[in-house]
Amino acid sequence: MELFIILGLLATAFALVFAKRLSALVGSFSLQSFFLVLLSLREAVRGAHLDLYIIAGLVLALKVLIIPRILLNMIKEIKANENLGFFINPQLSLLVALGLIYLSWAFSSLVFAHQETLVKVYGAVSFTIISLGLFIMVFRIKALAQIVGLLAMENGIFLLASAVSGGMPFLVEMAIFFDVFVGVIILGVFVYRINKLFVGIDIDKLNRLRG
Amino acid sequence: MEYLFLILKVIIFIGLAPLLSGIITRIKNNLRFRKGPGIWQPYFNLFKLFRKDEVVSEQASWIFRSAPYIVFAATLTALMLVPALTAWPLPIFTGDFLTIIFLLSLGRFFLALAGLDPAATFGGMGSSREMFIASFVEPVVILAIFAVSLTAETTNLAIIAAFKAMHPATVLAAGALLLVTLAETSRIPIDNQETHLELTMIHEALILEYSGRSLGLLELAAYMKQILFFSLISLIVFPGWNDLASFLLKWLALGVIVAVVEISLAKMRLFRAVDWLSFAGILAIMAIMTLILGV
Repeated sequence: MELFIILGLLATAFALVFAKRLSALVGSFSLQSFFLVLLSLREAVRGAHLDLYIIAGLVLALKVLIIPRILLNMIKEIKANENLGFFINPQLSLLVALGLIYLSWAFSSLVFAHQETLVKVYGAVSFTIISLGLFIMVFRIKALAQIVGLLAMENGIFLLASAVSGGMPFLVEMAIFFDVFVGVIILGVFVYRINKLFVGIDIDKLNRLRG
Repeated sequence: MEYLFLILKVIIFIGLAPLLSGIITRIKNNLRFRKGPGIWQPYFNLFKLFRKDEVVSEQASWIFRSAPYIVFAATLTALMLVPALTAWPLPIFTGDFLTIIFLLSLGRFFLALAGLDPAATFGGMGSSREMFIASFVEPVVILAIFAVSLTAETTNLAIIAAFKAMHPATVLAAGALLLVTLAETSRIPIDNQETHLELTMIHEALILEYSGRSLGLLELAAYMKQILFFSLISLIVFPGWNDLASFLLKWLALGVIVAVVEISLAKMRLFRAVDWLSFAGILAIMAIMTLILGV
């Protein structure tokens, strides 16, 4: 089960980097969140806390279903070209991702030097997801990819909190979910505005001031 | 006596290689509700080709004439190194998997030269495409088998096959090898064995100038390469069951998988093939990572 979750998280992280279309990017984010649901369910079964079940349910509702739906609707509504623009092409991104994974593993072994292996591995995977989210935000042209990258980073932080330190306090978790939800909506409105002003959502057109 | 048995094994492999291809074609046709050729058709083709005369271009040099023999010999030697059916490969003193990959790429190198040699347009195109695909195939094969050799802590295939430990990593590696096998045996997502369409063919374009016995040898070498890859995969996923009956079963199972994949996918254009092989690469890398992370 552990191996299944870890491999799933890694595979979806690769999928995020390798995706060539906007809907594929959103789909792999949704799948990644689903593996987070599995992880928190496992924690919940082990700890037998009601809080953890609620958190798993919230992740399922929010990150697996609602946010991807909002993003897909947005893609349809602004009639964005399905092609994700690349500053670095998928194959090269893959190589960079491998390097980042190695760095995360080294960093995780440093930070959790005296912990058991599983903690190190989860640490490495979550650092990987955080850095790959940042990578997607920097090296993809379409503004929607920035949103997905930010959400992936948030997934990585959630993973770090729940797998390494046994989860954040319930209230903090709730606050973060609310933040993410509102953040997506605000960013969505922002994308609409960009689309209207600049005719398209390519962020490399955002280097000049427009009224 | 031991040697006699090992030689017998290689003969069995060569004898069964065309049959495997015939069975895969048969399964494909049955799944598509077509009445295709019988499973013995590859043998008839080979006999026909071996009896015919050759036509060789006046401009062709010795490379063109010798390439089929080099390709056949390289594939045969590679096949000997696979420790299927017997515990040890034929040259008992040696033979790890890097040798197999080297021998296969030696054959590929001469085939690519032979494609360029008669200066026909299609041959050159085929050579460039073949090398383009090969440059992605080889690293993936090496990575995938490295993943397996990390579990067994050796690159010697005989010891790997006798190791008998299924690990999640070996399954991932076998998946990567299966994707690569489809590319190496020129099957559908990458290439298509059934057509000679100018724009898409890769392997067929390479051997377009050949006829008669040379063509027969090249086709037989292709069948042998297929059975070699199938045996490699089955050695990795199901190590231990090393007798002929279970090998027939494993080949048949892989044949069914290949046939189903082939009829359910469309051929990718050449530059999409990179995606397919990168996916295989991701699988192989994940296999290695599961081992390194030690979960």
